[in-house]
Amino acid sequence: MSTASGPIKSILKYTFYYGLALIWIIPIIWMAITAVKPTPEVMSFTPNWLPSAITFEHFRDLLDKRPFFLWLANSFQVSLLATVITIVVTTFAAYSLARMKWRGRNVVFAILLSAMFIPWEINSIPLFFIVKDLGLLNTFWAVALPLSALPVSLFLLRQFFINIPTELEDAARIDGCGHLRILWHIIIPVSLPAYGALAIFIFVFSWNEFFWSLVALQRSGVRTMPIGLKTLVAASDIQYDLMMAGSFMATLPALIIFLVLRRHVISGISMAGVQR
Amino acid sequence: MTSKNENTKADTIIGLLFLLPYLILWLLFAIAPVGYGFYISLHKWNPIGQSPFVGFDNYTQLFSNDRFWNALENTFIYAAWAIPLILALGLAFALLLKSAKMSTVAIIEGALFFPYLLNVSVVGILWAFLLDPNVGILPYYIRAIGFSPPDFLNSPAYVLPTIAFVSAWWLCGYRMIVFRAGLNAIPDELYESSALDGAGPIRQFFSITLPLMKPSILFAAILTLVAGLCTLGQVLIMTNGGPGTSSEVLALFMYRTAFESFNFGQAAAIGFMLFAIVFVISIALVKFLGLKSELG
Repeated sequence: MSTASGPIKSILKYTFYYGLALIWIIPIIWMAITAVKPTPEVMSFTPNWLPSAITFEHFRDLLDKRPFFLWLANSFQVSLLATVITIVVTTFAAYSLARMKWRGRNVVFAILLSAMFIPWEINSIPLFFIVKDLGLLNTFWAVALPLSALPVSLFLLRQFFINIPTELEDAARIDGCGHLRILWHIIIPVSLPAYGALAIFIFVFSWNEFFWSLVALQRSGVRTMPIGLKTLVAASDIQYDLMMAGSFMATLPALIIFLVLRRHVISGISMAGVQR
Repeated sequence: MTSKNENTKADTIIGLLFLLPYLILWLLFAIAPVGYGFYISLHKWNPIGQSPFVGFDNYTQLFSNDRFWNALENTFIYAAWAIPLILALGLAFALLLKSAKMSTVAIIEGALFFPYLLNVSVVGILWAFLLDPNVGILPYYIRAIGFSPPDFLNSPAYVLPTIAFVSAWWLCGYRMIVFRAGLNAIPDELYESSALDGAGPIRQFFSITLPLMKPSILFAAILTLVAGLCTLGQVLIMTNGGPGTSSEVLALFMYRTAFESFNFGQAAAIGFMLFAIVFVISIALVKFLGLKSELG
Protein backbone atom coordinates (compact mmCIF):
# COMPACT_ATOMS: atom_id res chain seq x y z
CA MET A 1 0.00 0.00 0.00
CA SER A 2 2.12 2.89 -1.17
CA THR A 3 1.03 6.43 -0.41
CA ALA A 4 2.05 7.62 -3.85
CA SER A 5 -1.17 6.55 -5.53
CA GLY A 6 -2.96 8.48 -8.21
CA PRO A 7 -6.09 10.53 -7.58
CA ILE A 8 -8.30 7.94 -9.28
CA LYS A 9 -7.02 5.22 -7.02
CA SER A 10 -7.62 7.43 -4.03
CA ILE A 11 -11.18 8.24 -5.14
CA LEU A 12 -11.84 4.55 -5.62
CA LYS A 13 -10.49 3.83 -2.19
CA TYR A 14 -12.65 6.45 -0.49
CA THR A 15 -15.71 5.31 -2.42
CA PHE A 16 -15.09 1.74 -1.37
CA TYR A 17 -14.64 2.50 2.34
CA TYR A 18 -17.46 4.99 2.63
CA GLY A 19 -19.67 2.74 0.53
CA LEU A 20 -19.02 -0.14 2.86
CA ALA A 21 -19.75 1.98 5.92
CA LEU A 22 -22.96 3.29 4.34
CA ILE A 23 -24.22 -0.16 3.34
CA TRP A 24 -23.53 -1.35 6.84
CA ILE A 25 -25.67 1.30 8.52
CA ILE A 26 -28.37 1.60 5.86
CA PRO A 27 -30.70 -0.59 7.97
CA ILE A 28 -30.42 1.95 10.79
CA ILE A 29 -30.95 4.90 8.44
CA TRP A 30 -34.01 3.14 7.01
CA MET A 31 -35.30 2.62 10.54
CA ALA A 32 -34.96 6.34 11.29
CA ILE A 33 -36.69 7.36 8.03
CA THR A 34 -39.51 4.88 8.59
CA ALA A 35 -40.07 6.11 12.12
CA VAL A 36 -41.11 9.57 10.88
CA LYS A 37 -43.03 8.50 7.77
CA PRO A 38 -46.83 8.54 7.39
CA THR A 39 -48.22 5.03 7.85
CA PRO A 40 -49.36 4.42 4.24
CA GLU A 41 -45.82 5.06 3.05
CA VAL A 42 -44.43 2.67 5.68
CA MET A 43 -46.60 -0.10 4.28
CA SER A 44 -45.91 0.82 0.67
CA PHE A 45 -44.57 -1.90 -1.61
CA THR A 46 -42.01 0.43 -3.15
CA PRO A 47 -39.41 1.96 -0.85
CA ASN A 48 -39.73 5.67 -0.36
CA TRP A 49 -36.49 7.24 0.82
CA LEU A 50 -37.84 10.76 1.03
CA PRO A 51 -41.14 10.73 2.89
CA SER A 52 -43.78 13.13 1.59
CA ALA A 53 -44.25 14.46 5.11
CA ILE A 54 -42.54 14.11 8.44
CA THR A 55 -44.77 12.95 11.25
CA PHE A 56 -44.26 12.24 14.91
CA GLU A 57 -47.56 10.42 15.33
CA HIS A 58 -45.82 7.01 15.70
CA PHE A 59 -43.81 8.27 18.65
CA ARG A 60 -46.92 9.75 20.26
CA ASP A 61 -48.77 6.53 19.57
CA LEU A 62 -45.99 4.49 21.13
CA LEU A 63 -45.80 6.67 24.24
CA ASP A 64 -49.59 6.40 24.61
CA LYS A 65 -49.67 2.65 24.31
CA ARG A 66 -46.45 1.58 26.00
CA PRO A 67 -44.54 2.79 29.11
CA PHE A 68 -41.49 3.58 27.06
CA PHE A 69 -39.82 5.88 29.58
CA LEU A 70 -40.38 3.34 32.33
CA TRP A 71 -38.47 0.76 30.25
CA LEU A 72 -35.74 3.30 29.74
CA ALA A 73 -35.51 4.10 33.44
CA ASN A 74 -35.55 0.40 34.34
CA SER A 75 -32.78 -0.39 31.86
CA PHE A 76 -30.75 2.45 33.26
CA GLN A 77 -31.17 1.26 36.84
CA VAL A 78 -30.27 -2.34 36.02
CA SER A 79 -27.17 -1.31 34.08
CA LEU A 80 -26.04 1.16 36.70
CA LEU A 81 -26.53 -1.35 39.50
CA ALA A 82 -24.64 -4.05 37.61
CA THR A 83 -21.79 -1.67 36.81
CA VAL A 84 -21.40 -0.45 40.39
CA ILE A 85 -21.54 -3.92 41.94
CA THR A 86 -19.14 -5.27 39.34
CA ILE A 87 -16.61 -2.54 40.05
CA VAL A 88 -16.74 -2.94 43.82
CA VAL A 89 -16.68 -6.72 43.92
CA THR A 90 -14.15 -7.18 41.13
CA THR A 91 -11.72 -4.60 42.52
CA PHE A 92 -11.18 -6.60 45.70
CA ALA A 93 -11.04 -9.94 43.92
CA ALA A 94 -8.62 -8.71 41.26
CA TYR A 95 -6.40 -7.07 43.88
CA SER A 96 -6.30 -10.28 45.84
CA LEU A 97 -5.45 -12.37 42.78
CA ALA A 98 -2.99 -9.96 41.22
CA ARG A 99 -1.18 -8.21 44.05
CA MET A 100 -1.32 -10.49 47.08
CA LYS A 101 0.78 -13.55 47.56
CA TRP A 102 -1.20 -16.48 48.79
CA ARG A 103 -0.80 -20.05 47.76
CA GLY A 104 -3.12 -21.35 45.07
CA ARG A 105 -4.23 -17.95 43.80
CA ASN A 106 -3.41 -18.79 40.19
CA VAL A 107 -5.31 -22.05 40.33
CA VAL A 108 -8.26 -20.23 41.89
CA PHE A 109 -8.11 -17.64 39.12
CA ALA A 110 -8.12 -20.33 36.40
CA ILE A 111 -11.12 -22.01 38.01
CA LEU A 112 -13.01 -18.72 38.35
CA LEU A 113 -12.26 -17.95 34.72
CA SER A 114 -13.56 -21.29 33.47
CA ALA A 115 -17.08 -20.00 34.13
CA MET A 116 -16.55 -18.07 30.93
CA PHE A 117 -17.49 -21.27 29.16
CA ILE A 118 -20.77 -21.52 31.04
CA PRO A 119 -22.99 -19.02 29.25
CA TRP A 120 -24.99 -17.95 32.22
CA GLU A 121 -28.24 -17.61 30.28
CA ILE A 122 -28.49 -21.37 29.83
CA ASN A 123 -28.63 -21.60 33.61
CA SER A 124 -31.84 -19.63 33.47
CA ILE A 125 -34.15 -22.42 34.74
CA PRO A 126 -32.24 -23.19 37.97
CA LEU A 127 -31.30 -19.51 38.29
CA PHE A 128 -34.99 -18.65 38.14
CA PHE A 129 -35.68 -20.81 41.21
CA ILE A 130 -32.57 -19.60 43.06
CA VAL A 131 -33.53 -15.98 42.50
CA LYS A 132 -37.13 -16.76 43.43
CA ASP A 133 -36.04 -18.38 46.70
CA LEU A 134 -33.91 -15.34 47.47
CA GLY A 135 -37.03 -13.23 46.96
CA LEU A 136 -35.37 -11.28 44.17
CA LEU A 137 -37.65 -12.22 41.28
CA ASN A 138 -38.93 -9.16 39.43
CA THR A 139 -36.34 -6.91 41.05
CA PHE A 140 -33.38 -5.27 39.35
CA TRP A 141 -31.06 -7.20 41.69
CA ALA A 142 -32.12 -10.40 39.92
CA VAL A 143 -30.40 -9.21 36.77
CA ALA A 144 -27.63 -7.04 38.22
CA LEU A 145 -26.19 -9.56 40.68
CA PRO A 146 -25.53 -12.42 38.23
CA LEU A 147 -24.08 -9.89 35.77
CA SER A 148 -21.63 -8.72 38.42
CA ALA A 149 -19.71 -12.01 38.48
CA LEU A 150 -18.82 -12.19 34.80
CA PRO A 151 -15.33 -13.72 34.51
CA VAL A 152 -14.41 -11.17 31.85
CA SER A 153 -14.53 -8.35 34.44
CA LEU A 154 -12.18 -10.19 36.77
CA PHE A 155 -9.83 -10.98 33.91
CA LEU A 156 -9.70 -7.38 32.74
CA LEU A 157 -8.93 -5.83 36.12
CA ARG A 158 -6.50 -8.54 37.21
CA GLN A 159 -4.60 -8.20 33.96
CA PHE A 160 -4.30 -4.46 34.53
CA PHE A 161 -3.38 -4.73 38.22
CA ILE A 162 -0.72 -7.35 37.58
CA ASN A 163 1.16 -5.04 35.22
CA ILE A 164 1.41 -2.15 37.69
CA PRO A 165 5.06 -1.84 38.84
CA THR A 166 5.58 -2.82 42.47
CA GLU A 167 7.99 0.01 43.44
CA LEU A 168 5.32 2.43 44.64
CA GLU A 169 3.61 -0.29 46.54
CA ASP A 170 6.84 -1.42 48.21
CA ALA A 171 7.55 2.12 49.34
CA ALA A 172 4.04 2.42 50.70
CA ARG A 173 4.38 -0.87 52.49
CA ILE A 174 7.57 0.31 54.20
CA ASP A 175 5.62 3.35 55.33
CA GLY A 176 3.22 0.92 56.95
CA CYS A 177 0.31 1.10 54.55
CA GLY A 178 -2.11 -1.80 54.63
CA HIS A 179 -3.76 -3.40 51.65
CA LEU A 180 -6.83 -1.18 51.75
CA ARG A 181 -4.74 1.98 51.62
CA ILE A 182 -2.47 0.61 48.89
CA LEU A 183 -5.54 -0.31 46.90
CA TRP A 184 -7.20 3.06 47.40
CA HIS A 185 -4.17 5.34 47.05
CA ILE A 186 -2.00 3.51 44.54
CA ILE A 187 -3.76 0.79 42.56
CA ILE A 188 -7.13 2.41 41.85
CA PRO A 189 -5.79 5.83 40.78
CA VAL A 190 -3.45 4.34 38.17
CA SER A 191 -6.10 1.92 36.94
CA LEU A 192 -8.68 4.47 35.85
CA PRO A 193 -8.42 3.49 32.15
CA ALA A 194 -9.18 -0.11 33.08
CA TYR A 195 -12.15 1.05 35.17
CA GLY A 196 -13.44 3.10 32.26
CA ALA A 197 -13.20 0.09 29.98
CA LEU A 198 -14.84 -2.18 32.52
CA ALA A 199 -17.67 0.25 33.23
CA ILE A 200 -18.43 0.75 29.54
CA PHE A 201 -18.30 -2.96 28.83
CA ILE A 202 -20.58 -3.98 31.69
CA PHE A 203 -22.98 -1.11 31.08
CA VAL A 204 -23.40 -1.99 27.41
CA PHE A 205 -23.62 -5.67 28.24
CA SER A 206 -26.37 -5.17 30.85
CA TRP A 207 -28.16 -2.55 28.75
CA ASN A 208 -28.61 -5.13 26.00
CA GLU A 209 -29.10 -8.22 28.16
CA PHE A 210 -32.13 -10.14 26.96
CA PHE A 211 -32.48 -13.85 27.71
CA TRP A 212 -32.17 -13.79 31.49
CA SER A 213 -34.09 -10.52 31.87
CA LEU A 214 -36.96 -12.12 29.97
CA VAL A 215 -37.08 -14.84 32.61
CA ALA A 216 -36.36 -12.78 35.71
CA LEU A 217 -38.38 -9.63 34.95
CA GLN A 218 -41.83 -10.92 34.06
CA ARG A 219 -43.91 -8.30 35.81
CA SER A 220 -44.70 -5.46 33.41
CA GLY A 221 -43.56 -2.72 35.81
CA VAL A 222 -39.94 -3.93 35.89
CA ARG A 223 -39.43 -4.63 32.19
CA THR A 224 -36.24 -3.30 30.67
CA MET A 225 -35.98 -1.82 27.19
CA PRO A 226 -35.24 -5.04 25.24
CA ILE A 227 -38.02 -6.92 27.04
CA GLY A 228 -40.46 -4.06 26.65
CA LEU A 229 -39.78 -3.74 22.93
CA LYS A 230 -40.51 -7.42 22.54
CA THR A 231 -44.12 -6.69 23.51
CA LEU A 232 -44.40 -4.77 20.22
CA VAL A 233 -43.72 -8.01 18.37
CA ALA A 234 -46.23 -10.07 20.29
CA ALA A 235 -49.13 -8.09 18.84
CA SER A 236 -51.13 -10.09 16.30
CA ASP A 237 -51.14 -7.34 13.68
CA ILE A 238 -47.72 -6.19 12.53
CA GLN A 239 -47.37 -2.45 13.10
CA TYR A 240 -44.05 -1.62 11.50
CA ASP A 241 -44.56 2.11 12.00
CA LEU A 242 -44.87 1.66 15.76
CA MET A 243 -42.06 -0.89 15.82
CA MET A 244 -39.66 1.39 13.97
CA ALA A 245 -40.54 4.34 16.19
CA GLY A 246 -39.85 2.20 19.28
CA SER A 247 -36.63 0.79 17.84
CA PHE A 248 -35.45 4.24 16.86
CA MET A 249 -36.15 5.70 20.30
CA ALA A 250 -34.43 2.74 21.93
CA THR A 251 -31.40 3.29 19.72
CA LEU A 252 -31.19 7.04 20.30
CA PRO A 253 -29.41 6.91 23.71
CA ALA A 254 -26.81 4.52 22.35
CA LEU A 255 -26.35 6.69 19.28
CA ILE A 256 -25.89 9.90 21.26
CA ILE A 257 -23.49 8.30 23.73
CA PHE A 258 -21.55 6.72 20.89
CA LEU A 259 -21.23 9.98 18.99
CA VAL A 260 -19.91 11.72 22.10
CA LEU A 261 -17.76 8.98 23.59
CA ARG A 262 -16.90 6.91 20.51
CA ARG A 263 -13.20 6.69 21.31
CA HIS A 264 -13.79 5.56 24.86
CA VAL A 265 -16.47 3.06 23.92
CA ILE A 266 -14.26 1.44 21.29
CA SER A 267 -11.15 1.33 23.45
CA GLY A 268 -13.23 0.05 26.37
CA ILE A 269 -14.71 -2.72 24.28
CA SER A 270 -11.29 -3.45 22.89
CA MET A 271 -9.73 -3.84 26.32
CA ALA A 272 -12.49 -6.08 27.60
CA GLY A 273 -12.68 -7.86 24.30
CA VAL A 274 -9.11 -9.06 24.28
CA GLN A 275 -10.62 -11.67 26.49
CA ARG A 276 -14.22 -12.28 25.70
CA MET B 1 -7.44 -4.30 58.63
CA THR B 2 -4.16 -2.47 58.11
CA SER B 3 -1.91 -5.40 58.80
CA LYS B 4 1.70 -4.32 59.01
CA ASN B 5 2.51 -7.99 59.12
CA GLU B 6 4.04 -9.22 55.92
CA ASN B 7 3.88 -12.92 56.55
CA THR B 8 1.93 -14.99 54.08
CA LYS B 9 -0.58 -16.31 56.56
CA ALA B 10 -2.09 -12.88 57.15
CA ASP B 11 -1.94 -12.29 53.42
CA THR B 12 -3.80 -15.51 52.78
CA ILE B 13 -6.60 -14.57 55.14
CA ILE B 14 -6.95 -11.05 53.80
CA GLY B 15 -6.59 -12.34 50.26
CA LEU B 16 -9.45 -14.76 50.69
CA LEU B 17 -11.50 -12.09 52.43
CA PHE B 18 -11.02 -9.76 49.47
CA LEU B 19 -12.01 -12.55 47.11
CA LEU B 20 -15.09 -13.49 49.09
CA PRO B 21 -17.75 -11.12 47.67
CA TYR B 22 -16.90 -12.05 44.09
CA LEU B 23 -16.65 -15.70 45.03
CA ILE B 24 -20.11 -15.70 46.61
CA LEU B 25 -21.72 -14.13 43.54
CA TRP B 26 -19.77 -16.50 41.30
CA LEU B 27 -20.80 -19.57 43.27
CA LEU B 28 -24.40 -18.53 43.69
CA PHE B 29 -25.11 -17.33 40.15
CA ALA B 30 -22.65 -19.19 37.92
CA ILE B 31 -21.77 -22.52 39.53
CA ALA B 32 -24.61 -23.50 41.85
CA PRO B 33 -27.19 -23.23 39.02
CA VAL B 34 -25.36 -25.96 37.09
CA GLY B 35 -25.68 -28.44 39.95
CA TYR B 36 -29.14 -27.24 40.88
CA GLY B 37 -30.20 -27.50 37.26
CA PHE B 38 -29.05 -31.11 37.16
CA TYR B 39 -30.97 -31.75 40.38
CA ILE B 40 -34.14 -30.20 38.95
CA SER B 41 -33.74 -32.24 35.77
CA LEU B 42 -34.03 -35.45 37.82
CA HIS B 43 -37.45 -34.46 39.13
CA LYS B 44 -40.93 -33.91 37.86
CA TRP B 45 -40.47 -30.37 39.07
CA ASN B 46 -43.43 -28.66 40.63
CA PRO B 47 -42.66 -25.11 41.79
CA ILE B 48 -45.46 -25.03 44.38
CA GLY B 49 -46.02 -28.65 45.51
CA GLN B 50 -44.28 -31.99 45.71
CA SER B 51 -41.60 -32.71 43.13
CA PRO B 52 -41.23 -36.48 42.75
CA PHE B 53 -37.83 -37.90 41.83
CA VAL B 54 -37.95 -39.46 38.37
CA GLY B 55 -34.33 -40.36 37.68
CA PHE B 56 -33.34 -39.83 34.09
CA ASP B 57 -36.91 -39.90 32.77
CA ASN B 58 -36.69 -36.31 31.57
CA TYR B 59 -33.64 -37.18 29.52
CA THR B 60 -35.03 -40.40 28.02
CA GLN B 61 -38.22 -38.54 27.13
CA LEU B 62 -36.17 -35.90 25.36
CA PHE B 63 -34.16 -38.48 23.46
CA SER B 64 -37.36 -39.95 22.07
CA ASN B 65 -38.76 -36.52 21.23
CA ASP B 66 -38.26 -35.44 17.62
CA ARG B 67 -38.61 -31.81 18.62
CA PHE B 68 -35.47 -32.11 20.76
CA TRP B 69 -33.40 -33.58 17.92
CA ASN B 70 -34.77 -30.94 15.58
CA ALA B 71 -33.73 -28.19 18.02
CA LEU B 72 -30.28 -29.74 18.44
CA GLU B 73 -29.83 -29.89 14.68
CA ASN B 74 -31.05 -26.30 14.25
CA THR B 75 -28.63 -25.12 16.92
CA PHE B 76 -25.68 -26.60 15.06
CA ILE B 77 -26.90 -25.42 11.64
CA TYR B 78 -27.20 -21.90 13.01
CA ALA B 79 -23.78 -22.10 14.67
CA ALA B 80 -22.20 -23.49 11.50
CA TRP B 81 -23.39 -20.41 9.61
CA ALA B 82 -23.07 -17.73 12.26
CA ILE B 83 -19.63 -18.45 13.71
CA PRO B 84 -17.61 -18.43 10.44
CA LEU B 85 -19.57 -15.38 9.26
CA ILE B 86 -18.97 -13.38 12.44
CA LEU B 87 -15.28 -14.25 12.57
CA ALA B 88 -14.60 -13.81 8.85
CA LEU B 89 -16.38 -10.45 8.67
CA GLY B 90 -14.73 -9.27 11.87
CA LEU B 91 -11.28 -10.20 10.60
CA ALA B 92 -11.91 -8.84 7.10
CA PHE B 93 -13.07 -5.49 8.49
CA ALA B 94 -10.11 -5.32 10.86
CA LEU B 95 -7.70 -5.95 7.97
CA LEU B 96 -9.48 -3.44 5.75
CA LEU B 97 -9.27 -0.75 8.42
CA LYS B 98 -5.60 -1.52 9.05
CA SER B 99 -4.72 -1.08 5.40
CA ALA B 100 -6.99 1.96 4.90
CA LYS B 101 -4.31 4.53 5.75
CA MET B 102 -6.82 7.35 5.75
CA SER B 103 -7.40 10.05 8.31
CA THR B 104 -11.13 9.39 8.59
CA VAL B 105 -10.79 5.69 9.31
CA ALA B 106 -12.42 6.24 12.71
CA ILE B 107 -15.69 7.14 10.98
CA ILE B 108 -15.66 3.90 9.00
CA GLU B 109 -14.79 1.97 12.13
CA GLY B 110 -17.61 3.63 14.05
CA ALA B 111 -20.15 2.78 11.35
CA LEU B 112 -19.09 -0.85 11.17
CA PHE B 113 -19.11 -1.16 14.95
CA PHE B 114 -22.32 0.68 15.76
CA PRO B 115 -24.82 -2.18 15.17
CA TYR B 116 -23.22 -3.99 18.11
CA LEU B 117 -24.67 -1.33 20.41
CA LEU B 118 -28.26 -2.10 19.38
CA ASN B 119 -30.19 -4.44 21.62
CA VAL B 120 -31.39 -7.73 20.27
CA SER B 121 -35.03 -6.65 20.11
CA VAL B 122 -34.17 -3.72 17.88
CA VAL B 123 -32.02 -5.95 15.67
CA GLY B 124 -34.76 -8.56 15.36
CA ILE B 125 -37.60 -6.09 14.76
CA LEU B 126 -35.57 -4.07 12.26
CA TRP B 127 -34.51 -7.07 10.18
CA ALA B 128 -37.95 -8.64 10.23
CA PHE B 129 -39.07 -5.36 8.61
CA LEU B 130 -36.19 -5.23 6.12
CA LEU B 131 -36.83 -8.84 5.09
CA ASP B 132 -40.63 -8.64 5.01
CA PRO B 133 -41.74 -10.29 1.74
CA ASN B 134 -44.21 -7.46 1.00
CA VAL B 135 -42.83 -4.19 2.34
CA GLY B 136 -39.20 -5.12 3.05
CA ILE B 137 -36.54 -3.24 1.11
CA LEU B 138 -34.19 -6.19 0.75
CA PRO B 139 -36.61 -8.41 -1.22
CA TYR B 140 -37.62 -5.30 -3.18
CA TYR B 141 -34.11 -4.54 -4.37
CA ILE B 142 -33.40 -8.21 -5.09
CA ARG B 143 -36.49 -8.18 -7.31
CA ALA B 144 -35.37 -4.88 -8.82
CA ILE B 145 -32.12 -6.38 -10.09
CA GLY B 146 -34.02 -9.25 -11.65
CA PHE B 147 -33.89 -12.09 -9.14
CA SER B 148 -36.73 -13.65 -7.24
CA PRO B 149 -35.98 -13.45 -3.54
CA PRO B 150 -36.81 -16.33 -1.21
CA ASP B 151 -39.17 -15.64 1.65
CA PHE B 152 -36.18 -15.38 3.98
CA LEU B 153 -37.83 -15.79 7.36
CA ASN B 154 -40.75 -18.00 6.28
CA SER B 155 -38.85 -20.64 4.38
CA PRO B 156 -37.54 -23.63 6.36
CA ALA B 157 -34.42 -23.81 4.19
CA TYR B 158 -33.48 -20.14 4.45
CA VAL B 159 -34.56 -19.14 7.93
CA LEU B 160 -31.49 -20.26 9.93
CA PRO B 161 -28.85 -18.94 7.51
CA THR B 162 -30.81 -15.67 7.35
CA ILE B 163 -30.81 -15.29 11.13
CA ALA B 164 -27.09 -16.14 11.09
CA PHE B 165 -26.46 -13.32 8.59
CA VAL B 166 -28.40 -10.90 10.75
CA SER B 167 -26.38 -11.98 13.79
CA ALA B 168 -23.18 -11.41 11.82
CA TRP B 169 -24.32 -7.90 10.91
CA TRP B 170 -25.05 -7.24 14.56
CA LEU B 171 -22.02 -8.84 16.22
CA CYS B 172 -19.05 -8.78 13.85
CA GLY B 173 -18.17 -5.20 14.78
CA TYR B 174 -17.24 -6.44 18.21
CA ARG B 175 -14.84 -9.04 16.79
CA MET B 176 -13.50 -6.38 14.45
CA ILE B 177 -12.47 -4.23 17.42
CA VAL B 178 -10.86 -7.18 19.18
CA PHE B 179 -8.99 -8.29 16.06
CA ARG B 180 -7.88 -4.74 15.39
CA ALA B 181 -6.19 -4.64 18.79
CA GLY B 182 -4.46 -7.90 17.90
CA LEU B 183 -3.36 -6.65 14.49
CA ASN B 184 -1.96 -3.45 15.96
CA ALA B 185 0.17 -5.53 18.31
CA ILE B 186 2.02 -7.08 15.36
CA PRO B 187 5.26 -5.11 14.88
CA ASP B 188 5.43 -3.19 11.60
CA GLU B 189 9.04 -4.29 11.14
CA LEU B 190 7.84 -7.80 10.34
CA TYR B 191 5.87 -6.49 7.37
CA GLU B 192 8.63 -4.14 6.31
CA SER B 193 11.33 -6.78 6.29
CA SER B 194 9.15 -9.29 4.48
CA ALA B 195 8.29 -6.61 1.92
CA LEU B 196 12.01 -6.20 1.33
CA ASP B 197 12.14 -9.94 0.70
CA GLY B 198 9.52 -9.40 -1.97
CA ALA B 199 6.45 -10.73 -0.15
CA GLY B 200 3.13 -9.33 -1.41
CA PRO B 201 0.12 -8.58 0.80
CA ILE B 202 -1.35 -12.05 0.31
CA ARG B 203 1.86 -13.83 1.25
CA GLN B 204 2.23 -11.48 4.21
CA PHE B 205 -1.27 -12.36 5.35
CA PHE B 206 -0.56 -16.08 5.32
CA SER B 207 3.02 -15.95 6.59
CA ILE B 208 2.78 -13.17 9.19
CA THR B 209 -0.76 -12.05 10.05
CA LEU B 210 -2.52 -15.39 10.24
CA PRO B 211 0.13 -17.29 12.25
CA LEU B 212 0.48 -14.44 14.76
CA MET B 213 -3.28 -13.96 15.04
CA LYS B 214 -4.03 -17.66 15.23
CA PRO B 215 -4.33 -17.95 19.03
CA SER B 216 -6.64 -14.95 19.33
CA ILE B 217 -8.71 -16.04 16.32
CA LEU B 218 -9.14 -19.52 17.77
CA PHE B 219 -10.00 -18.10 21.14
CA ALA B 220 -12.54 -15.76 19.59
CA ALA B 221 -13.92 -18.77 17.72
CA ILE B 222 -14.49 -20.64 20.97
CA LEU B 223 -16.22 -17.70 22.62
CA THR B 224 -18.37 -17.10 19.54
CA LEU B 225 -19.25 -20.78 19.58
CA VAL B 226 -20.24 -20.60 23.25
CA ALA B 227 -22.53 -17.65 22.55
CA GLY B 228 -23.77 -19.07 19.25
CA LEU B 229 -24.90 -22.39 20.71
CA CYS B 230 -26.98 -20.52 23.29
CA THR B 231 -28.61 -18.06 20.90
CA LEU B 232 -32.20 -17.23 21.70
CA GLY B 233 -33.03 -13.54 21.35
CA GLN B 234 -32.69 -13.13 17.58
CA VAL B 235 -34.76 -16.25 16.93
CA LEU B 236 -37.42 -15.40 19.48
CA ILE B 237 -37.95 -11.93 18.03
CA MET B 238 -37.65 -12.66 14.32
CA THR B 239 -39.42 -16.00 13.88
CA ASN B 240 -40.36 -17.33 17.33
CA GLY B 241 -38.95 -20.65 16.11
CA GLY B 242 -40.97 -20.71 12.92
CA PRO B 243 -42.01 -21.51 10.31
CA GLY B 244 -43.25 -24.52 12.29
CA THR B 245 -40.19 -25.47 14.29
CA SER B 246 -37.64 -24.87 11.51
CA SER B 247 -35.73 -22.28 13.51
CA GLU B 248 -36.39 -23.57 17.01
CA VAL B 249 -32.93 -23.75 18.60
CA LEU B 250 -32.18 -25.51 21.89
CA ALA B 251 -32.23 -22.38 24.03
CA LEU B 252 -35.65 -21.43 22.64
CA PHE B 253 -36.94 -24.98 23.09
CA MET B 254 -35.74 -24.84 26.71
CA TYR B 255 -37.40 -21.46 27.29
CA ARG B 256 -40.71 -22.65 25.85
CA THR B 257 -40.64 -25.95 27.71
CA ALA B 258 -40.25 -24.00 30.95
CA PHE B 259 -42.39 -20.92 30.50
CA GLU B 260 -44.99 -22.05 27.98
CA SER B 261 -45.42 -25.73 28.90
CA PHE B 262 -44.30 -25.22 32.53
CA ASN B 263 -42.38 -28.49 32.36
CA PHE B 264 -39.46 -27.23 34.43
CA GLY B 265 -37.84 -30.65 34.94
CA GLN B 266 -37.56 -31.23 31.23
CA ALA B 267 -36.42 -27.66 30.57
CA ALA B 268 -33.68 -28.11 33.15
CA ALA B 269 -32.64 -31.30 31.37
CA ILE B 270 -32.33 -29.38 28.09
CA GLY B 271 -30.35 -26.69 29.87
CA PHE B 272 -28.02 -29.20 31.47
CA MET B 273 -27.36 -30.90 28.15
CA LEU B 274 -26.71 -27.56 26.51
CA PHE B 275 -24.30 -26.75 29.32
CA ALA B 276 -22.55 -30.10 28.90
CA ILE B 277 -22.23 -29.64 25.13
CA VAL B 278 -20.90 -26.10 25.39
CA PHE B 279 -18.61 -26.62 28.37
CA VAL B 280 -17.09 -29.88 27.16
CA ILE B 281 -16.53 -28.58 23.63
CA SER B 282 -14.93 -25.34 24.78
CA ILE B 283 -12.70 -26.82 27.49
CA ALA B 284 -11.63 -29.56 25.06
CA LEU B 285 -10.84 -26.97 22.39
CA VAL B 286 -8.86 -24.79 24.81
CA LYS B 287 -6.82 -27.83 25.87
CA PHE B 288 -6.52 -29.33 22.42
CA LEU B 289 -5.51 -26.11 20.71
CA GLY B 290 -3.15 -25.21 23.51
CA LEU B 291 -4.75 -21.87 24.30
CA LYS B 292 -4.06 -21.85 28.02
CA SER B 293 -1.73 -18.87 27.60
CA GLU B 294 -4.70 -16.86 26.32
CA LEU B 295 -6.23 -17.18 29.76
CA GLY B 296 -3.48 -15.09 31.31
